[in-house]
Amino acid sequence: MSFVGCLLMVSGWLIAIAALLLLVGSGQRLAFVMAGLLVESIGLVLVAQSYRALQKAQG
Amino acid sequence: MSLLNVAVCLVCIFLVPLSAAGLALIYQGLGRSRSAAHAMLATLCALGVAAIVFVAIGFSWAGYPGGAAHAFHTGGVRWDWLGADPFLAHGVRSGLLKGPYAALVLCLQIFAVGVAVLIPVSSGNDRWRLLPICCSSALLAGLLYPLFSHWVWGGGWLAQMGSSFGIPAFSDAGGAGVVQVVGGFAALSVAWVLGPRQGKYSEGVATAIPGHNIVLVLFGCLLGLVGWIGLDSATSMLFYGATVDLLPMVAINAMLSAAAGCLAAVFTTHLRYRKPDASLSANGWIAGLVAGSAGCGRVSPGVAILIGLVAGGLVTFLVETLELKLLVDDPGGAISVHAGAGLWGLIALGLFGPVQGASRMGLILAQLVGVATLLGVMFPLIHAGNLLLNRILPYRVDSDGDWQGMDIRELGAGAYPEFVMHADEFAPR
Repeated sequence: MSFVGCLLMVSGWLIAIAALLLLVGSGQRLAFVMAGLLVESIGLVLVAQSYRALQKAQG
Repeated sequence: MSLLNVAVCLVCIFLVPLSAAGLALIYQGLGRSRSAAHAMLATLCALGVAAIVFVAIGFSWAGYPGGAAHAFHTGGVRWDWLGADPFLAHGVRSGLLKGPYAALVLCLQIFAVGVAVLIPVSSGNDRWRLLPICCSSALLAGLLYPLFSHWVWGGGWLAQMGSSFGIPAFSDAGGAGVVQVVGGFAALSVAWVLGPRQGKYSEGVATAIPGHNIVLVLFGCLLGLVGWIGLDSATSMLFYGATVDLLPMVAINAMLSAAAGCLAAVFTTHLRYRKPDASLSANGWIAGLVAGSAGCGRVSPGVAILIGLVAGGLVTFLVETLELKLLVDDPGGAISVHAGAGLWGLIALGLFGPVQGASRMGLILAQLVGVATLLGVMFPLIHAGNLLLNRILPYRVDSDGDWQGMDIRELGAGAYPEFVMHADEFAPR
C-alpha cells in the first residue's frame, strides 16, 4: 500500500506537468494541477494509512 | 551586486547558523533528558556531514543562477534539471576574480542545507542512531536538497516557468520549500521508518512524553528568529535581487509572522486545554517563521500576520492529528512545523503575494506546481532514500537502548549525570 501511495504521488505530479505542457488556458491548467494535487494527497493518505496499520499491528 | 549589498548579504549569511542553533535547542529540549547529549551531538554531526558533502558534491548539482547546468528539451520546453558546476567547489574559487556571487551562494547554502538536515534529527529524537543520522544527512545534503534547490534557486525549470510555460516562476524567497518542506518531508519519512518510541503507544492510545527542558525550547525560538531574519534576507538578496532597502521589511514580516503564529498557538491551546501549552506555542512561533519565509519582505505586514496566524493554528491541529490519529511519533513536532507550515506559506504567497504584471491565477498556478513537485517528486525520492538506507544500515537503536536512552547507549555518559535518574532504567522488562 505504501508503494502504491508513492506511485500515486508521482502520478499526481505527472498530471500537473502534463497540464502545463498540453493546456493553454489558465483556468484549465489550474483545474488539472489541482486534480494532480488531489491525486498526490490520496497517495500521501495511502502511505500514512499503511504505516498506521503497521503500528496498530505491532501494538 | 554593489559593495554595500555584498557586505550586508555577508552579515545576513553569518546570522543563519543561529537558526540551526535555535532549532537544535528546541529539538533537544523537546526530547527526553536521557537522550539530550546525543541529540546535540547528532545536530553537530549532521551539520558537519552536510557541510562537507554539500561542498564536495551538492553545490555542483545545486548550482546558482547563470551557472553551468544539465538540461534536456521535450515538448518544445527546455528542462534545466541539475547544476553542472565542478565538484569540490572548484568553480567558486576560480570564479572569484569575476565577482563574489558564487562564493556568497555557496556560503549561504552550506548553512541552509545544515538547517534542512537538522529537521529530521528532531523527528528521530530518542531512537535514531548516530551513524545512520550521518548517512541520511549526507544523502539529503549531497543529492536531494541540491536537486530541488537547483530547480528553485539555481535557475532550474521551476525558476524558468515564465519562459517555458508563460506563467510566473515558482517563488520561495526565504526557503519555505527548498529548506523547510524538504527537511519536513525527510522528518516524516524518518518518523515512519523508525516507528514510535517504546512506551509512546499502548494498544493504539498515545501517551504524553513531555520535553525535558522547555526553557531551552523557548530560548531556541528567540535564537531562531535572528537566524531566520538572516536566512530570509540573504536568500532574498542572492536569488530574488532584493537590495538593502527591502531588508527592514523582511525583518518586520519575520517578527510579525512569528508573533502571530505563537499567539495563535497560545490561543488555540488555551481554548482546547484550558491552559496555553508552552511546547505547542514554541512550535507556533517557528511555524510562523517557516510560513512567513516564503514571501518574507514581499508581502504586506497585514498579510504576514495572517500567514502567521493560520500557521500557528494549523500546527496545533497537525501535531495532534499526526500523534493521535496517524500514530506518528514526532517528539519535536518538526513535521507539522516545517512541512505543514512551509506548504501553507508557499500557497499563501500565491494567494496574497504581489502579482507584478502576471495574473493572480498564474501566480497561484506557479505556487501549486511547486507544491505538487515537492509532494510528487521530492517526498517519494526522500522516502525511497531513507527506506534504502535503513535496509543497509538499520536506523533504529535496539529495544534496550530505547529504554536506556541514547546518551548511555551510544555515548556512554548522560547529559546530566549528577541530576537525573530514571526509575524505569532499572525496572524489570
